[in-house]
Amino acid sequence: PSVPPSTVSSVSGSGQNRNSILVSQRQKGNPLLKHVRNVRWMFADVVCDYFLGQSSCALYISLRYHLLHPDYLYYRIRELQNNYKLRVVLCHVDVEDVVKPLLEVTRTAMLHDCTLLCGWSFEECARYLETLKVYENKPSDSIREHMHTDYLSRLNHALTSIRHVNKTDVVTLGSTFGSLSGIMDASMEDLARCPGIGERKVKRLYDTFHEPFRRVS
Amino acid sequence: MLPFQEQVISDLLDDRNGGLVVVASGFPFSSLIASLLLLHHPSAGSFLLLSASEPQKSAISAALRRAAPVHTDPLPFPSDLPSDLPSHHRTALYASGAALFVTPRILVADLLTSRVPPSSVATLVVLNAHRLSDTSTEAFIARILHSYSPSTPIVAFTDCPHAMVSGFSKAERIMKSLFVRRLHLWPRFHVLVSSDLERTPPEVVDVRVPMSAAMKGIQDAILGSMDACLRELRRTNKVDVEDLTVENGLFKSFDEIVRRQLDPIWHTLGKKTKQLVSDLKTLRKLLDYLVRYDAVLYLKYLDTLRVSEGVQSMWIFADSSYKIFELAKRRVYQVVRADGTKSSLDDKSTPSKKRRVNDKRKKESEGDDADGRKVDANVGIMLEEVLEEAPKWKVLRELLEEIEAERREENQSEEGQTKVEDAGDLSDIVLVACKDEHSCLQLEDCILKGPHQVMRDEWEKYLLGKVELHNLRKRNKKKSQEPKGFGLLDGIVTAGSSDNTDPSSISKFENDALLAAASELRIPANKESVLEENNQSDGRRKGYKKTRGKKTRSKGKPMTGNPGFNFKIDQINTNENISSGNNGALGQPATGSMQNDQESSLENVCIDRSDIQAHAAESVPAASRQTKLLPPVQFYALDSDQQILNALKPSVIIVYHPNMTFVREIEFYQAENPSKKLKVYFLFYEDSAEVQKFEASIRRENSAFESLIRQKSLMMIPVDQNGRCIGASTPSETESIILQNSLTRKAGGRMSQGRKMQVIVDMREFMSSLPNVLHLKGMHVIPVTLEVGDYVLSPMICVERKSIADLFQSFASGRLYHQVETMIRYYKMPVLLIEFSQDKSFSFQSTNDIGDDVSPTNITSKLSLLVLHFPRLRLVWSRNVHATAEIFASLKQNQDEPDESKAIRVGVPSEDGVVDNDVRAENYNTSAIEFLRRLPGVTDTNYRALMDGCKNLAELALLPVERLAELMGGQKAARTLKEFLDAKCPTLS
Repeated sequence: PSVPPSTVSSVSGSGQNRNSILVSQRQKGNPLLKHVRNVRWMFADVVCDYFLGQSSCALYISLRYHLLHPDYLYYRIRELQNNYKLRVVLCHVDVEDVVKPLLEVTRTAMLHDCTLLCGWSFEECARYLETLKVYENKPSDSIREHMHTDYLSRLNHALTSIRHVNKTDVVTLGSTFGSLSGIMDASMEDLARCPGIGERKVKRLYDTFHEPFRRVS
Repeated sequence: MLPFQEQVISDLLDDRNGGLVVVASGFPFSSLIASLLLLHHPSAGSFLLLSASEPQKSAISAALRRAAPVHTDPLPFPSDLPSDLPSHHRTALYASGAALFVTPRILVADLLTSRVPPSSVATLVVLNAHRLSDTSTEAFIARILHSYSPSTPIVAFTDCPHAMVSGFSKAERIMKSLFVRRLHLWPRFHVLVSSDLERTPPEVVDVRVPMSAAMKGIQDAILGSMDACLRELRRTNKVDVEDLTVENGLFKSFDEIVRRQLDPIWHTLGKKTKQLVSDLKTLRKLLDYLVRYDAVLYLKYLDTLRVSEGVQSMWIFADSSYKIFELAKRRVYQVVRADGTKSSLDDKSTPSKKRRVNDKRKKESEGDDADGRKVDANVGIMLEEVLEEAPKWKVLRELLEEIEAERREENQSEEGQTKVEDAGDLSDIVLVACKDEHSCLQLEDCILKGPHQVMRDEWEKYLLGKVELHNLRKRNKKKSQEPKGFGLLDGIVTAGSSDNTDPSSISKFENDALLAAASELRIPANKESVLEENNQSDGRRKGYKKTRGKKTRSKGKPMTGNPGFNFKIDQINTNENISSGNNGALGQPATGSMQNDQESSLENVCIDRSDIQAHAAESVPAASRQTKLLPPVQFYALDSDQQILNALKPSVIIVYHPNMTFVREIEFYQAENPSKKLKVYFLFYEDSAEVQKFEASIRRENSAFESLIRQKSLMMIPVDQNGRCIGASTPSETESIILQNSLTRKAGGRMSQGRKMQVIVDMREFMSSLPNVLHLKGMHVIPVTLEVGDYVLSPMICVERKSIADLFQSFASGRLYHQVETMIRYYKMPVLLIEFSQDKSFSFQSTNDIGDDVSPTNITSKLSLLVLHFPRLRLVWSRNVHATAEIFASLKQNQDEPDESKAIRVGVPSEDGVVDNDVRAENYNTSAIEFLRRLPGVTDTNYRALMDGCKNLAELALLPVERLAELMGGQKAARTLKEFLDAKCPTLS
């Protein structure tokens, strides 16, 4: 829903475009493009430098360029308007003395709701673009807490998310009610009868299971 | 206390602002601190000891006990400040004027929250000053103290002179950061020191033990490899070659030298250079272990090394490394073909074996002879044990015998004069100092059972290890019904059936022979126990599965009909000994606690002695049939850092592994007890790296002191009118200097006129140097315990700080995802700060580490994924901690100051379960959603549909699988969820 109109007009109709990175004409000659190999890319008429998907885009800035044109980044960000959920500023760190220019870029990106990613080579910058495209719909499992797959660990994982419930309580609950659905269906009295489950835990457990997901006001 | 120590103290007190004291390694600076403590009076305020290690704490207490005049009580023992003490108790404790051990993290938080009024600190003592830098928390503390009460003396100690010269004018910078202007240097070659120490020098016997030919060969080969590696490293042109010598290569600090040079360019280095650096480390370890480990253990270590290093290592394929492996093996066993070549080799090698083993020790039992050579009919090769003993073992035993013989002579002559020494019992103990606990235990075994037996035990363990490995592999292939444990050794393992998948590149034949040897192990063991009527081998067999301590005990009993042996098994006992009873009372009762068996307390030693002799003659097995008596021996591990000398009062010390620090301790012990006739034996391997290392360590310390003396003469310490040090004044920090001055003089100064920036910092963050630098930048740092985030810059901005190592680690554990998730929930501008370290390269990875494909394990991928899932998360990349402070200051412009009380409450649920500030909590049952998302089968994409499809979790639990499939958009996920919900919970039986 948030695709900027200019993009749609130029690239609509071709299905494979959805799987490629759309590159602005401005980026012509950027050596970075040579290193984009894992994803298809094509030039298109887009406002951002790299159109990565329905809701994400990227601007490219090298610190050396920023030192010459300190206002460039700000104007580019302003052009984007609020059409994307994720707006990446891809910063190529290509100067020795980074502290001052990086501070300026950081500040500009932050104050204008952009996410800053730094790469130290064209390869690395290209890899960020590729990854952002490839992982467009990837679940976050690989960076979330690793979980063991046996039953008790999973049960622990789920039940201990409720505050104050500890691993001993999980075993108590499990052996009392026989199964998770049993626990979820238990009445307040039944829960209270378990050893170690005090009034506070009973309420938390019961509320978690019986309060509606959405509180309708 | 020695005269020069008094001089140290008076020099130090000369300047009311304190000073930095650098003493040579091994100097008892604990007694210096003790005398400072005795001078302290509670009315002046509290006496704070910063960052003392545990051994240092006990050393200070012990020194205090010794130094105190008889009638001082109560002694001002410093106590630990418990971290969980409620704040008002703390304030009271600080105000009481007590002496306290504090950690920097706690003290800085207490100072910032004014739990310690800076004026209530009388003296601040900083230990281990060589670890300090401008940005460390100790410097932070010094600055706060200095700004509020500039007259508080700060005294810093270090006994690591070589660490004080490691950076560019490090001593000067440390002094500035502590606001002290005096540097006191007390090297060993100082006139006062050497005259004090050399007044009554101990009798020193330097014993040079020749290394065995094989050891020598190994050492040469290692040194050769090291030299080759160094040459190779020089050729890369990446490092300053001046410091890279083989001599420096003997020290651990060599790695630091290399790493310091290479860290900034680490990512640009090729695989080869990196490998060279780690190879040098490995080689240094090998050289060290050569003189510390016995032959079998050394071989075992090499075996594991070959497996773990295998492919990448450079040195492992060099010619010299082949020699290392070959010689190490030959120290343990030889493999001989049993066919044609057999006779010739047999003739040569059998006597050689007897020379090595039988001639040194006495004749072996028949059982040993029988298993000395094992002929495996299937393979036709023969394994021949060599089991070379460490040459020092024999020398140690001879030394002990000699000491005892001398002592008996003396005693006899003294008895004529009817002079009985009262302290005799204690000083009877011979102290043997070795590097680590393992050597202690092994030497102890050597004395108890004879070296040959120790080697046999190690050898058996080695073989058993091989068999276990072999069986493990076999079991993996097909389920074997063989019972575990020793049963399988009784001939069940047939060497012929072994498969040749051994990872270590020992040839198949050799491996088979080893296995065969292991399978025959038990037979001779049985024979032995039948032949000899003592339960020694029984004890050994039992001992295998027990812990070391137990093992020694179970063996100790039958053997020690000889209670003259005095083995330290329990470290804790020694501790007790040190802390209980003062100097005078360190008599027999204290010794009793040190012993393993109460019945063999030292009291009985003299009485039993004749008894023992008779007893020993019949019970000592053939393996150690020398009936010469040994004196009581105490083994001491240098690594354990105990105050052994003053606790035990030995008169004979054998330094088994020479070490400079310990030598100094002995010198002081002698100087403090001039009446004692101390005799010290040094055991060196002749022409070994051990000698070289010992001598180099002395040279290194001396040159460090010389450099410090030179630095001291050139030092520029800015001083104000009152003669106080002003502190750091590097040009880059002029701004902060103005600030500091204004803080110092006008209590707040310039900044308070305008608006002083505030930053709320989590308590745990005081381990890092960022709070210090923020404070240096003139911000007001408020320490609190935060549930969410590390720093709160404004009501909107919350920062989670990650160093590079932290970042990788918390990505791996999944903690980062959770932290970001909560930050996003409560703050409008959640920030992930990625902070690089100034002395490391500013990048994640070198270009060749990026790889060709998008790989999920790469940091780039993880970061991208995080960004995709949290588009609102802001990333800040900072070159170093100073850059971070600048970024913080810049982000805080045009923002409101953070509210301390609100920040504390963020993320902490109140009693009714509703979390403050949580925007979602009003509209959603967050706890239920979190629970739902953790169920198997539920994913980021389908959980919303599930929430729409049913009212609450209880209803969800009852939905049929078809309905679930509809909501979740898939049969598989629905079945996973349903199965989990209805799975029978395992009950406790």
